[in-house]
Amino acid sequence: MNAHSSELTAVAKGITADKLNKFYGGFHALKDFSLEVVPGEFLVLLGPSGCGKSTALRMIAGLESISSGTLTIGDRDVTDVLPKYRDIAMVFQSYALYPHKTVGENIGFPLKVAKMPKDEMERTILAAANQVELADLLDRLPSQLSGGQRQRVALARAMVRRPSVFLMDEPLSNLDAKLRGNMRAELKHMQSELGITTIYVTHDQIEAMTLAHRVAVMRDGELQQLGTPKQVYSDPANLFVAGFMGSPPMNFLDGEIKDEMFAGPGITLAAKGYADTAYATLGFRPEDCTVVEKGAGQLDAPVYTFEMTGDQSLVTFRAGDKSLVVKMPNDFEVAADETAGISLPTSSACFFDQATGLRIRPAS
Amino acid sequence: MSAPTRRYSLFEPNKIGELSPAAKFILYSFLAAWSLFVLFPIYWLLITSFKTPAAVNNGPFFLPWVDFQPSLHAWRDLFILDFEDTFRAYSNSIIIAVSSTALSVLVGSMAAYSLSRIEFAPNLITILYFVALLIGSCVAIGVYGADLWLTLAVAVALFFLLARAVGKLYTVRLKNGDILFWIISQRILAPIVVVVPIYMMFQSVRLLDTHIALILTYAVVNMPIVVWLMYDFFSSIPRDLEESAQIDGATMIMTFREIVLPLSRAGLSATTLLVMIFAWNEYLLALFISTSNAQTLPILVAAMNAGERGILWWTMSVAIIVMIIPVVVLAVVLQKYITKGLLVGAVKG
Ligand SMILES: Nc1ncnc2c1ncn2[C@@H]1O[C@H](COP(=O)(O)OP(=O)(O)OP(=O)(O)O)[C@@H](O)[C@H]1O
Ligand SMILES: [Mg+2]
Repeated sequence: MNAHSSELTAVAKGITADKLNKFYGGFHALKDFSLEVVPGEFLVLLGPSGCGKSTALRMIAGLESISSGTLTIGDRDVTDVLPKYRDIAMVFQSYALYPHKTVGENIGFPLKVAKMPKDEMERTILAAANQVELADLLDRLPSQLSGGQRQRVALARAMVRRPSVFLMDEPLSNLDAKLRGNMRAELKHMQSELGITTIYVTHDQIEAMTLAHRVAVMRDGELQQLGTPKQVYSDPANLFVAGFMGSPPMNFLDGEIKDEMFAGPGITLAAKGYADTAYATLGFRPEDCTVVEKGAGQLDAPVYTFEMTGDQSLVTFRAGDKSLVVKMPNDFEVAADETAGISLPTSSACFFDQATGLRIRPAS
Repeated sequence: MSAPTRRYSLFEPNKIGELSPAAKFILYSFLAAWSLFVLFPIYWLLITSFKTPAAVNNGPFFLPWVDFQPSLHAWRDLFILDFEDTFRAYSNSIIIAVSSTALSVLVGSMAAYSLSRIEFAPNLITILYFVALLIGSCVAIGVYGADLWLTLAVAVALFFLLARAVGKLYTVRLKNGDILFWIISQRILAPIVVVVPIYMMFQSVRLLDTHIALILTYAVVNMPIVVWLMYDFFSSIPRDLEESAQIDGATMIMTFREIVLPLSRAGLSATTLLVMIFAWNEYLLALFISTSNAQTLPILVAAMNAGERGILWWTMSVAIIVMIIPVVVLAVVLQKYITKGLLVGAVKG
């Protein structure tokens, strides 16, 4: 690396968001959003469409004003700092390619702004284009590219620089499955190699699981849980996170806890250490339980459908008005309409408060 | 080589090359007839400029050297005998059209850009208060003979002292749409209605028959068109592009030069052309505001049918021809910028 590009390389910086709020007129789009990203971390913002992920990201980028709260990047308070002084690179959800510039010029624009010498610029552009497999399209205009290719140009334009923070808004959403897998690996590799703090927005949980050091799950402008992918998956903080993560998602059954026993429609289950409550919800993951002979499990129910997905089979039961899904190995078979039992280990059951949706934990 | 799954529809457009010879013949004859029809007046203008008065009066004659003997007398009249008048009108027209176009496009597109990028929310009550003060001052000065500077000072002081308080009385916020509508509403009145007030205004500031008067008038008359057209144009440029450039570190000026300007070139060219043609051809306002020094070409042309010798068709033709040429040149030059589809590929969807 020569002098100029090392000058572009910045030290990884942490990001601290303290009670950020965003109002669009009367609409409260982001509510008391607090978050600490450690330097060099890959943080994923995950949530359903319209939950405020892009809003949060754009506030960190400085494109959206901060209605209240403070934002720090590194040691600097950047709450009211213009985007260009925040030293960030961003991939827009809409790509935002310059339509009158070629792919090469698009990728090179940040370098041109930084007044990099021409020959070095060309080398850097080519390297970035190679990373996203676009090297032979450098002379095309964005209008002559496919959606996935445009998205990769946007990615390359962000990666061509060495900012202190990367912000990416669903950068892989338009790619086919294979390319997405490749790009995911490429991104992860690049991020850990460069150690640049990254905030990555997605609604795809596989992406979140595979890429993130930590995942922040959001809903309706509120942060629901912040934790490692494993924590968020196996130790959800509330009903929403439990229901959002995993595919198929967690099964839920309403009931009550009394004398350290959970009792729901057709099921009783030990709930050791839990306080009594009349309104509890039991949650368990499809892969944590097994289908057994009728009467051998904690719950008997008629089989509603049986699906083979190739590497596994999904058995859907009907219990009252709820459907319960159990994931079984792919050699398992059961006929629909047969009544079978579900066996679930007590250790993998989660309980939630029906009213607040919050997780209930055992006393001890 | 026709594709196997060709769809036949009722009005399927054909390429001219694929037509049968008979259809081609009919099509081309029609097109030829139409262009004859369109071009004939220009041809007529051209030959009339070379006709002697006799050839005009005894006409109609169509073919030079066959029907009549072309003569350069009208051209000589206009460019040698009356050179000074012609040249003055010509240069006046150029100065006024170019400056007023530049002014209105510059100011108008800046207004349009800010209207498309910033949410304004002026308070209606404060605006009404301002207007009321303005009217009050005019009445005080004009009707009651109050001292000009004193009244102005009082009005300005009143405005700044009370504007906030008045604004809080009752909040009705205007939106960008209201501002845009107000701007375009300036064109609702026919020019003939405002011509007398404009005349009196320039008279009182002693600017009648000057370039400045016509430049300002045309710039103001054209501004709503520029704002309206350019607003639409700027609004079609996705904001993401500018935001992206700013994140990439570009300054405001660089963002404008590298992103906004190249993308709005088509709109700016079309608007410039439209506005320039208006200023070039405008007659009514020029008739009132200019008398001799600032006289423009349309006035010169019109003056040719007022002489004691009757209508001078031949010199008029010459003047019209020289008047058309710059517009044609401008249209040809700007045409290559007026293209569609510049924004394809910028954002998804
Ligand atoms: N400029 C705006 N004015 C008013 N409301 C807005 C504006 N921008 C976003 N919103 C609202 O804020 C909420 C969050 O929007 P945001 O774009 O952050 O969602 P998102 O999580 O990124 O969704 P997606 O996954 O679909 O991109 C939405 O309900 C949206 O309607
Ligand atoms: Mg979004």
